[in-house]
Amino acid sequence: MLSDLRLFQLISPSLPVGAFTYSQGLELAVEAGWVDSQERFEAWLTEQLNHSLTTLELPMLDRMLNALYEADAQAFNQLTKELIAWRETKELRLEERQRGAALARLLPQLDVNLEGLLLEACQRTQLAGIAIAAHQWQIPRDKLFAGYLWSWLENAVMAGVKLIPLGQTQGQQTLQRMAYSIEQSVEHSKGVLNPSSVTPALAIASSRHETQYTRLFRS
Amino acid sequence: MNALTGRQGWHAELTLGYQLRGDKTRLVDSKREGPLAVQRAFYPEGEVCHTYLLHPPGGVVAGDDLNIDLQVSKDAKVLLTTPGATKFYRSIGPVAEVSQRLTVAGGGSLEWMPLENIFFPGTQSHIVTEVHLEAGAHFIGWEINCFGRPSNEERFETGQLSSEMRIYRDGEPVMFDRFATDGASLIDSSIGLKGVSGYASMVATVDDQDLLEQVQQLLSDDPLSGATLMDGLLVVRTISEQSQEVIFLFSSVWRLIRPQSLGKEAAAPRIWAT
Repeated sequence: MLSDLRLFQLISPSLPVGAFTYSQGLELAVEAGWVDSQERFEAWLTEQLNHSLTTLELPMLDRMLNALYEADAQAFNQLTKELIAWRETKELRLEERQRGAALARLLPQLDVNLEGLLLEACQRTQLAGIAIAAHQWQIPRDKLFAGYLWSWLENAVMAGVKLIPLGQTQGQQTLQRMAYSIEQSVEHSKGVLNPSSVTPALAIASSRHETQYTRLFRS
Repeated sequence: MNALTGRQGWHAELTLGYQLRGDKTRLVDSKREGPLAVQRAFYPEGEVCHTYLLHPPGGVVAGDDLNIDLQVSKDAKVLLTTPGATKFYRSIGPVAEVSQRLTVAGGGSLEWMPLENIFFPGTQSHIVTEVHLEAGAHFIGWEINCFGRPSNEERFETGQLSSEMRIYRDGEPVMFDRFATDGASLIDSSIGLKGVSGYASMVATVDDQDLLEQVQQLLSDDPLSGATLMDGLLVVRTISEQSQEVIFLFSSVWRLIRPQSLGKEAAAPRIWAT
Protein backbone atom coordinates (compact mmCIF):
# COMPACT_ATOMS: atom_id res chain seq x y z
CA MET A 1 0.00 0.00 0.00
CA LEU A 2 2.67 2.50 1.03
CA SER A 3 4.75 1.76 -2.10
CA ASP A 4 1.65 2.49 -4.25
CA LEU A 5 1.23 5.85 -2.56
CA ARG A 6 4.92 6.61 -3.02
CA LEU A 7 4.50 5.86 -6.73
CA PHE A 8 1.50 8.23 -6.95
CA GLN A 9 3.62 10.93 -5.38
CA LEU A 10 6.53 10.29 -7.75
CA ILE A 11 4.41 10.48 -10.92
CA SER A 12 2.06 13.26 -9.82
CA PRO A 13 1.96 16.48 -11.87
CA SER A 14 2.34 18.20 -8.47
CA LEU A 15 5.92 16.85 -8.14
CA PRO A 16 7.91 20.09 -8.41
CA VAL A 17 10.17 19.22 -11.37
CA GLY A 18 8.41 21.44 -13.90
CA ALA A 19 7.25 18.59 -16.14
CA PHE A 20 4.45 20.77 -17.50
CA THR A 21 6.96 23.18 -19.08
CA TYR A 22 8.18 20.71 -21.74
CA SER A 23 6.44 19.62 -24.96
CA GLN A 24 9.20 17.44 -26.49
CA GLY A 25 8.86 18.91 -29.97
CA LEU A 26 5.06 18.96 -29.95
CA GLU A 27 4.91 22.76 -29.94
CA LEU A 28 6.81 22.90 -33.24
CA ALA A 29 4.90 19.90 -34.66
CA VAL A 30 1.66 21.80 -34.07
CA GLU A 31 3.01 24.98 -35.65
CA ALA A 32 4.29 23.02 -38.67
CA GLY A 33 0.80 21.59 -39.14
CA TRP A 34 1.96 18.02 -38.47
CA VAL A 35 -0.34 17.66 -35.46
CA ASP A 36 -3.61 19.49 -36.11
CA SER A 37 -6.31 17.17 -34.76
CA GLN A 38 -7.03 14.79 -31.92
CA GLU A 39 -6.52 11.85 -34.27
CA ARG A 40 -3.09 13.01 -35.44
CA PHE A 41 -2.14 13.87 -31.88
CA GLU A 42 -2.89 10.33 -30.75
CA ALA A 43 -0.89 8.96 -33.70
CA TRP A 44 2.07 11.19 -32.73
CA LEU A 45 1.90 10.07 -29.08
CA THR A 46 1.56 6.41 -30.05
CA GLU A 47 4.63 6.61 -32.29
CA GLN A 48 6.63 8.40 -29.61
CA LEU A 49 5.58 5.74 -27.13
CA ASN A 50 6.44 2.88 -29.50
CA HIS A 51 9.75 4.16 -30.85
CA SER A 52 11.23 5.99 -27.89
CA LEU A 53 9.68 5.33 -24.47
CA THR A 54 9.15 1.59 -25.05
CA THR A 55 12.50 1.01 -26.74
CA LEU A 56 14.75 3.40 -24.83
CA GLU A 57 13.40 4.78 -21.55
CA LEU A 58 11.76 1.70 -20.05
CA PRO A 59 14.64 -0.65 -20.94
CA MET A 60 17.10 1.90 -19.53
CA LEU A 61 15.01 2.32 -16.38
CA ASP A 62 14.98 -1.47 -16.02
CA ARG A 63 18.77 -1.65 -16.35
CA MET A 64 19.21 1.25 -13.92
CA LEU A 65 17.14 -0.61 -11.35
CA ASN A 66 19.24 -3.74 -11.88
CA ALA A 67 22.36 -1.69 -11.21
CA LEU A 68 20.84 -0.25 -8.03
CA TYR A 69 19.78 -3.67 -6.72
CA GLU A 70 23.34 -4.88 -7.40
CA ALA A 71 24.69 -1.76 -5.66
CA ASP A 72 26.79 -1.04 -8.77
CA ALA A 73 27.01 2.76 -8.83
CA GLN A 74 29.55 2.71 -11.68
CA ALA A 75 27.22 0.77 -13.97
CA PHE A 76 24.34 3.02 -12.95
CA ASN A 77 26.32 6.17 -13.76
CA GLN A 78 27.38 4.74 -17.13
CA LEU A 79 23.72 4.04 -18.04
CA THR A 80 22.80 7.66 -17.38
CA LYS A 81 25.60 8.80 -19.72
CA GLU A 82 24.27 6.49 -22.41
CA LEU A 83 20.72 7.76 -21.92
CA ILE A 84 21.86 11.36 -22.40
CA ALA A 85 23.85 10.30 -25.49
CA TRP A 86 20.60 9.00 -26.99
CA ARG A 87 18.79 12.32 -26.43
CA GLU A 88 18.66 13.81 -29.89
CA THR A 89 18.79 17.57 -29.33
CA LYS A 90 19.99 20.30 -27.02
CA GLU A 91 16.49 20.93 -25.64
CA LEU A 92 15.79 17.25 -24.98
CA ARG A 93 19.12 16.99 -23.12
CA LEU A 94 18.35 20.15 -21.15
CA GLU A 95 14.99 18.72 -20.18
CA GLU A 96 16.66 15.59 -18.78
CA ARG A 97 19.19 17.70 -16.88
CA GLN A 98 16.80 20.33 -15.53
CA ARG A 99 14.29 17.77 -14.31
CA GLY A 100 17.15 15.67 -12.94
CA ALA A 101 18.60 18.65 -11.06
CA ALA A 102 15.15 19.40 -9.59
CA LEU A 103 14.83 15.79 -8.41
CA ALA A 104 18.36 15.91 -6.99
CA ARG A 105 17.28 18.86 -4.81
CA LEU A 106 13.93 17.37 -3.85
CA LEU A 107 14.68 13.71 -3.12
CA PRO A 108 17.07 14.29 -0.18
CA GLN A 109 14.24 16.31 1.45
CA LEU A 110 12.10 13.17 1.12
CA ASP A 111 14.67 11.00 2.92
CA VAL A 112 16.12 9.51 -0.26
CA ASN A 113 19.89 9.02 0.01
CA LEU A 114 21.70 10.71 -2.83
CA GLU A 115 25.43 11.05 -2.74
CA GLY A 116 28.55 10.60 -4.84
CA LEU A 117 27.97 8.99 -8.21
CA LEU A 118 24.24 8.65 -7.61
CA LEU A 119 23.90 12.39 -7.09
CA GLU A 120 25.96 13.06 -10.21
CA ALA A 121 23.81 10.61 -12.18
CA CYS A 122 20.58 12.16 -10.90
CA GLN A 123 21.73 15.63 -11.97
CA ARG A 124 22.44 14.23 -15.43
CA THR A 125 19.02 12.71 -16.09
CA GLN A 126 15.61 12.69 -14.45
CA LEU A 127 15.28 8.98 -15.24
CA ALA A 128 18.07 8.33 -12.71
CA GLY A 129 16.12 10.18 -10.01
CA ILE A 130 13.01 8.12 -10.76
CA ALA A 131 15.04 4.90 -10.56
CA ILE A 132 16.72 5.88 -7.28
CA ALA A 133 13.44 6.88 -5.62
CA ALA A 134 11.64 3.76 -6.88
CA HIS A 135 14.46 1.59 -5.58
CA GLN A 136 14.40 3.12 -2.10
CA TRP A 137 10.63 3.14 -1.89
CA GLN A 138 10.44 -0.46 -3.18
CA ILE A 139 7.97 0.28 -5.93
CA PRO A 140 7.32 -2.87 -8.01
CA ARG A 141 8.76 -2.59 -11.52
CA ASP A 142 5.63 -3.11 -13.63
CA LYS A 143 3.76 -0.52 -11.61
CA LEU A 144 6.66 1.88 -11.88
CA PHE A 145 6.87 1.42 -15.67
CA ALA A 146 3.13 1.95 -16.15
CA GLY A 147 3.21 4.92 -13.77
CA TYR A 148 6.19 6.47 -15.53
CA LEU A 149 4.46 6.19 -18.91
CA TRP A 150 1.26 7.56 -17.44
CA SER A 151 3.01 10.65 -16.09
CA TRP A 152 4.64 11.21 -19.51
CA LEU A 153 1.26 10.80 -21.21
CA GLU A 154 -0.55 13.10 -18.79
CA ASN A 155 1.99 15.89 -19.35
CA ALA A 156 1.96 15.38 -23.12
CA VAL A 157 -1.85 15.51 -23.22
CA MET A 158 -1.92 18.67 -21.12
CA ALA A 159 0.53 20.21 -23.61
CA GLY A 160 -1.62 19.02 -26.54
CA VAL A 161 -4.80 20.42 -25.02
CA LYS A 162 -3.11 23.80 -24.74
CA LEU A 163 -1.33 23.79 -28.12
CA ILE A 164 -3.61 22.16 -30.70
CA PRO A 165 -5.92 23.13 -28.89
CA LEU A 166 -8.26 20.37 -27.71
CA GLY A 167 -11.15 20.50 -25.25
CA GLN A 168 -10.66 19.13 -21.75
CA THR A 169 -13.04 16.27 -22.55
CA GLN A 170 -11.08 15.38 -25.69
CA GLY A 171 -7.95 15.31 -23.54
CA GLN A 172 -9.62 12.82 -21.21
CA GLN A 173 -10.71 10.68 -24.18
CA THR A 174 -7.13 10.59 -25.43
CA LEU A 175 -5.91 9.50 -21.99
CA GLN A 176 -8.58 6.81 -21.92
CA ARG A 177 -7.67 5.42 -25.35
CA MET A 178 -3.91 5.66 -24.89
CA ALA A 179 -4.09 3.58 -21.70
CA TYR A 180 -4.32 0.44 -23.86
CA SER A 181 -1.07 1.36 -25.59
CA ILE A 182 0.65 1.85 -22.24
CA GLU A 183 -0.26 -1.67 -21.21
CA GLN A 184 1.31 -3.07 -24.41
CA SER A 185 4.32 -0.81 -24.11
CA VAL A 186 5.26 -2.17 -20.69
CA GLU A 187 5.15 -5.73 -22.10
CA HIS A 188 7.06 -4.90 -25.31
CA SER A 189 9.78 -3.06 -23.42
CA LYS A 190 10.81 -6.33 -21.76
CA GLY A 191 11.90 -7.80 -25.10
CA VAL A 192 14.21 -4.91 -26.03
CA LEU A 193 17.82 -6.15 -26.19
CA ASN A 194 19.56 -2.96 -27.28
CA PRO A 195 17.88 0.21 -26.04
CA SER A 196 17.56 2.91 -28.71
CA SER A 197 15.12 5.45 -30.02
CA VAL A 198 14.14 6.16 -33.64
CA THR A 199 12.17 9.39 -33.91
CA PRO A 200 13.71 11.55 -36.68
CA ALA A 201 10.71 13.86 -37.16
CA LEU A 202 10.57 14.54 -33.41
CA ALA A 203 14.32 15.24 -33.39
CA ILE A 204 13.89 17.72 -36.25
CA ALA A 205 10.86 19.31 -34.57
CA SER A 206 12.84 19.68 -31.34
CA SER A 207 15.80 21.21 -33.24
CA ARG A 208 13.54 23.71 -35.00
CA HIS A 209 11.82 24.53 -31.71
CA GLU A 210 15.07 26.27 -30.67
CA THR A 211 14.32 29.03 -33.19
CA GLN A 212 10.50 28.97 -33.03
CA TYR A 213 9.30 32.56 -32.80
CA THR A 214 6.63 32.23 -30.11
CA ARG A 215 7.13 29.53 -27.52
CA LEU A 216 5.16 28.52 -24.43
CA PHE A 217 7.28 25.44 -23.69
CA ARG A 218 10.96 24.86 -22.95
CA SER A 219 11.25 21.88 -25.31
CA MET B 1 24.24 -17.81 -52.39
CA ASN B 2 22.45 -14.61 -53.28
CA ALA B 3 19.54 -15.08 -55.66
CA LEU B 4 20.15 -11.80 -57.46
CA THR B 5 23.90 -11.69 -57.87
CA GLY B 6 24.69 -15.41 -57.70
CA ARG B 7 27.44 -15.06 -55.15
CA GLN B 8 28.11 -15.94 -51.54
CA GLY B 9 28.28 -13.28 -48.85
CA TRP B 10 31.69 -11.66 -48.62
CA HIS B 11 33.74 -11.42 -45.51
CA ALA B 12 35.91 -8.34 -45.79
CA GLU B 13 38.26 -6.49 -43.47
CA LEU B 14 39.94 -3.21 -44.21
CA THR B 15 42.38 -1.60 -41.78
CA LEU B 16 43.67 1.87 -42.52
CA GLY B 17 46.18 3.77 -40.41
CA TYR B 18 47.07 7.36 -41.21
CA GLN B 19 50.01 9.33 -39.82
CA LEU B 20 51.45 12.77 -40.31
CA ARG B 21 54.82 12.38 -42.08
CA GLY B 22 56.57 15.67 -42.72
CA ASP B 23 54.00 18.06 -44.16
CA LYS B 24 51.54 15.44 -45.42
CA THR B 25 49.28 12.79 -43.94
CA ARG B 26 50.19 9.35 -45.30
CA LEU B 27 48.38 6.06 -45.31
CA VAL B 28 51.14 4.14 -43.54
CA ASP B 29 49.30 1.01 -42.54
CA SER B 30 46.85 -0.72 -44.79
CA LYS B 31 45.61 -4.27 -44.53
CA ARG B 32 42.84 -5.81 -46.54
CA GLU B 33 41.07 -9.06 -46.82
CA GLY B 34 38.19 -9.45 -49.27
CA PRO B 35 36.70 -6.86 -51.58
CA LEU B 36 36.92 -3.65 -49.52
CA ALA B 37 39.66 -1.35 -50.76
CA VAL B 38 40.86 2.21 -51.10
CA GLN B 39 42.20 3.94 -54.19
CA ARG B 40 45.57 5.61 -54.10
CA ALA B 41 45.49 8.70 -51.87
CA PHE B 42 45.66 12.11 -53.46
CA TYR B 43 46.39 15.61 -52.20
CA PRO B 44 44.28 18.31 -53.89
CA GLU B 45 44.85 20.73 -50.98
CA GLY B 46 48.29 19.87 -49.68
CA GLU B 47 48.47 18.18 -46.29
CA VAL B 48 45.02 16.52 -46.10
CA CYS B 49 45.02 12.96 -47.35
CA HIS B 50 41.97 12.41 -49.60
CA THR B 51 40.91 8.80 -49.97
CA TYR B 52 38.22 7.00 -51.97
CA LEU B 53 36.72 3.99 -50.28
CA LEU B 54 35.57 1.20 -52.62
CA HIS B 55 32.84 -1.18 -51.53
CA PRO B 56 32.47 -4.65 -53.03
CA PRO B 57 31.77 -4.36 -56.74
CA GLY B 58 28.06 -4.78 -57.37
CA GLY B 59 27.01 -3.64 -53.89
CA VAL B 60 26.31 -5.27 -50.56
CA VAL B 61 24.31 -8.51 -50.52
CA ALA B 62 22.85 -10.97 -48.03
CA GLY B 63 25.40 -12.48 -45.70
CA ASP B 64 28.11 -9.90 -46.39
CA ASP B 65 30.18 -9.08 -43.35
CA LEU B 66 32.20 -5.93 -43.98
CA ASN B 67 34.51 -4.41 -41.39
CA ILE B 68 36.41 -1.16 -41.58
CA ASP B 69 38.88 -0.04 -38.94
CA LEU B 70 40.28 3.41 -39.63
CA GLN B 71 42.75 5.19 -37.38
CA VAL B 72 43.90 8.77 -37.68
CA SER B 73 46.99 9.46 -35.56
CA LYS B 74 47.92 12.66 -33.78
CA ASP B 75 47.70 15.75 -36.03
CA ALA B 76 46.99 13.70 -39.18
CA LYS B 77 44.21 14.93 -41.51
CA VAL B 78 42.07 12.62 -43.57
CA LEU B 79 39.09 13.10 -45.88
CA LEU B 80 37.32 9.99 -47.02
CA THR B 81 34.53 9.60 -49.53
CA THR B 82 33.18 7.04 -51.99
CA PRO B 83 33.11 7.29 -55.80
CA GLY B 84 29.49 6.12 -56.03
CA ALA B 85 26.39 5.19 -54.05
CA THR B 86 26.59 2.02 -51.95
CA LYS B 87 23.77 -0.36 -52.80
CA PHE B 88 22.28 -2.82 -50.33
CA TYR B 89 20.42 -5.48 -52.30
CA ARG B 90 17.44 -7.64 -51.53
CA SER B 91 18.18 -10.55 -49.21
CA ILE B 92 16.77 -14.05 -49.25
CA GLY B 93 17.42 -14.31 -45.52
CA PRO B 94 20.85 -13.59 -44.09
CA VAL B 95 21.64 -10.13 -42.79
CA ALA B 96 24.38 -8.01 -44.33
CA GLU B 97 26.53 -6.63 -41.51
CA VAL B 98 28.67 -3.53 -41.91
CA SER B 99 30.83 -2.50 -39.00
CA GLN B 100 32.90 0.68 -39.15
CA ARG B 101 35.24 1.81 -36.40
CA LEU B 102 36.78 5.24 -36.80
CA THR B 103 39.37 6.53 -34.33
CA VAL B 104 40.82 10.03 -34.31
CA ALA B 105 43.69 11.09 -32.04
CA GLY B 106 44.18 14.56 -30.56
CA GLY B 107 44.87 17.26 -33.14
CA GLY B 108 43.85 14.87 -35.89
CA SER B 109 40.85 15.29 -38.16
CA LEU B 110 38.60 12.95 -40.06
CA GLU B 111 36.06 14.02 -42.65
CA TRP B 112 33.87 11.00 -43.35
CA MET B 113 31.72 11.92 -46.30
CA PRO B 114 30.53 8.91 -48.26
CA LEU B 115 27.93 9.25 -51.00
CA GLU B 116 24.49 7.84 -50.30
CA ASN B 117 23.46 4.33 -49.29
CA ILE B 118 20.59 2.90 -51.32
CA PHE B 119 18.62 0.20 -49.56
CA PHE B 120 16.69 -1.92 -52.05
CA PRO B 121 13.30 -3.28 -51.00
CA GLY B 122 13.75 -6.59 -49.20
CA THR B 123 17.23 -5.87 -47.90
CA GLN B 124 18.31 -7.10 -44.47
CA SER B 125 21.07 -4.71 -43.47
CA HIS B 126 22.66 -3.79 -40.21
CA ILE B 127 25.22 -0.99 -40.08
CA VAL B 128 27.11 0.17 -37.00
CA THR B 129 29.54 3.07 -37.10
CA GLU B 130 31.57 3.75 -33.97
CA VAL B 131 33.53 6.97 -33.77
CA HIS B 132 36.16 7.30 -31.04
CA LEU B 133 37.51 10.79 -30.55
CA GLU B 134 40.34 11.72 -28.26
CA ALA B 135 40.33 15.17 -26.67
CA GLY B 136 41.15 17.73 -29.33
CA ALA B 137 40.19 15.46 -32.24
CA HIS B 138 38.11 16.93 -35.07
CA PHE B 139 35.39 15.04 -36.87
CA ILE B 140 32.88 15.85 -39.57
CA GLY B 141 30.80 12.91 -40.75
CA TRP B 142 27.58 12.19 -42.51
CA GLU B 143 25.34 9.38 -43.53
CA ILE B 144 22.80 9.65 -46.34
CA ASN B 145 20.25 6.85 -46.61
CA CYS B 146 17.69 6.27 -49.37
CA PHE B 147 15.05 3.60 -49.04
CA GLY B 148 13.66 1.75 -52.04
CA ARG B 149 13.98 3.24 -55.49
CA PRO B 150 11.44 6.06 -55.73
CA SER B 151 12.43 6.76 -59.36
CA ASN B 152 11.27 3.23 -60.29
CA GLU B 153 8.29 3.50 -57.95
CA GLU B 154 9.73 0.69 -55.87
CA ARG B 155 8.89 1.59 -52.31
CA PHE B 156 10.65 0.07 -49.31
CA GLU B 157 7.74 -2.07 -48.21
CA THR B 158 9.58 -5.21 -47.18
CA GLY B 159 12.96 -5.71 -45.59
CA GLN B 160 14.63 -4.49 -42.46
CA LEU B 161 17.47 -2.17 -41.81
CA SER B 162 19.20 -0.57 -38.91
CA SER B 163 21.90 2.03 -39.14
CA GLU B 164 23.46 3.24 -35.96
CA MET B 165 26.18 5.75 -35.11
CA ARG B 166 27.87 5.84 -31.73
CA ILE B 167 30.24 8.68 -30.94
CA TYR B 168 32.56 8.58 -27.94
CA ARG B 169 34.87 11.29 -26.67
CA ASP B 170 37.73 10.06 -24.48
CA GLY B 171 35.84 6.79 -24.11
CA GLU B 172 32.64 8.43 -22.84
CA PRO B 173 29.39 8.22 -24.84
CA VAL B 174 28.53 11.60 -26.33
CA MET B 175 26.02 10.84 -29.06
CA PHE B 176 24.18 7.69 -30.07
CA ASP B 177 21.84 7.91 -33.04
CA ARG B 178 19.94 5.28 -34.96
CA PHE B 179 17.55 4.92 -37.82
CA ALA B 180 15.77 1.61 -38.27
CA THR B 181 12.69 0.44 -40.08
CA ASP B 182 10.82 -2.80 -40.58
CA GLY B 183 9.25 -2.47 -44.01
CA ALA B 184 7.79 1.02 -44.32
CA SER B 185 6.83 1.27 -40.62
CA LEU B 186 9.21 4.11 -39.69
CA ILE B 187 9.14 5.61 -43.19
CA ASP B 188 5.38 6.18 -43.02
CA SER B 189 5.28 7.09 -39.32
CA SER B 190 4.40 10.66 -38.37
CA ILE B 191 7.34 10.69 -35.98
CA GLY B 192 9.58 8.84 -38.46
CA LEU B 193 9.99 10.05 -42.05
CA LYS B 194 6.41 11.18 -42.71
CA GLY B 195 6.15 9.09 -45.89
CA VAL B 196 9.43 10.32 -47.39
CA SER B 197 11.86 7.56 -48.45
CA GLY B 198 15.13 9.07 -47.31
CA TYR B 199 16.90 10.32 -44.20
CA ALA B 200 20.31 11.83 -43.65
CA SER B 201 22.28 13.14 -40.71
CA MET B 202 25.52 15.02 -40.30
CA VAL B 203 27.66 15.43 -37.18
CA ALA B 204 30.58 17.74 -36.57
CA THR B 205 32.78 18.69 -33.64
CA VAL B 206 31.71 22.30 -33.34
CA ASP B 207 31.16 24.36 -30.22
CA ASP B 208 30.05 27.73 -31.48
CA GLN B 209 26.56 29.14 -31.11
CA ASP B 210 27.05 31.66 -33.96
CA LEU B 211 27.94 28.87 -36.34
CA LEU B 212 24.85 26.94 -35.26
CA GLU B 213 22.69 29.97 -36.00
CA GLN B 214 24.22 30.29 -39.46
CA VAL B 215 23.45 26.63 -40.15
CA GLN B 216 19.90 27.04 -38.79
CA GLN B 217 19.49 30.02 -41.12
CA LEU B 218 20.53 27.82 -44.04
CA LEU B 219 17.81 25.30 -43.12
CA SER B 220 15.10 27.76 -42.17
CA ASP B 221 12.91 27.26 -45.26
CA ASP B 222 12.82 23.47 -45.06
CA PRO B 223 10.46 22.19 -42.34
CA LEU B 224 11.95 18.70 -42.65
CA SER B 225 15.49 19.76 -41.70
CA GLY B 226 16.88 20.81 -38.34
CA ALA B 227 20.17 21.59 -36.64
CA THR B 228 21.13 21.49 -32.98
CA LEU B 229 24.31 21.94 -30.94
CA MET B 230 24.84 19.75 -27.89
CA ASP B 231 27.85 18.77 -25.84
CA GLY B 232 30.31 20.01 -28.46
CA LEU B 233 28.59 18.41 -31.44
CA LEU B 234 26.64 20.07 -34.22
CA VAL B 235 24.00 17.70 -35.56
CA VAL B 236 22.04 18.32 -38.76
CA ARG B 237 19.16 16.04 -39.72
CA THR B 238 17.12 16.10 -42.89
CA ILE B 239 14.27 14.02 -44.23
CA SER B 240 14.60 13.87 -48.02
CA GLU B 241 14.71 11.28 -50.79
CA GLN B 242 16.64 13.58 -53.17
CA SER B 243 20.20 12.48 -52.40
CA GLN B 244 21.71 15.09 -54.75
CA GLU B 245 19.95 17.85 -52.83
CA VAL B 246 21.08 16.39 -49.51
CA ILE B 247 24.70 16.26 -50.71
CA PHE B 248 24.37 19.87 -51.86
CA LEU B 249 22.91 20.89 -48.48
CA PHE B 250 25.53 19.01 -46.44
CA SER B 251 28.32 20.42 -48.63
CA SER B 252 27.00 23.91 -47.89
CA VAL B 253 27.03 23.19 -44.15
CA TRP B 254 30.51 21.70 -44.53
CA ARG B 255 31.79 24.84 -46.29
CA LEU B 256 30.36 26.93 -43.47
CA ILE B 257 31.84 24.96 -40.58
CA ARG B 258 35.12 23.66 -42.00
CA PRO B 259 37.18 26.81 -41.47
CA GLN B 260 36.28 26.84 -37.77
CA SER B 261 36.02 23.12 -37.17
CA LEU B 262 39.25 22.22 -38.99
CA GLY B 263 40.94 25.54 -39.63
CA LYS B 264 40.75 24.90 -43.38
CA GLU B 265 38.71 26.31 -46.23
CA ALA B 266 36.53 23.71 -47.91
CA ALA B 267 37.80 22.14 -51.10
CA ALA B 268 35.10 19.85 -52.45
CA PRO B 269 36.38 16.53 -53.75
CA ARG B 270 36.15 16.60 -57.54
CA ILE B 271 34.06 13.48 -57.55
CA TRP B 272 31.04 15.32 -56.12
CA ALA B 273 30.96 17.58 -59.16
CA THR B 274 30.54 14.69 -61.61
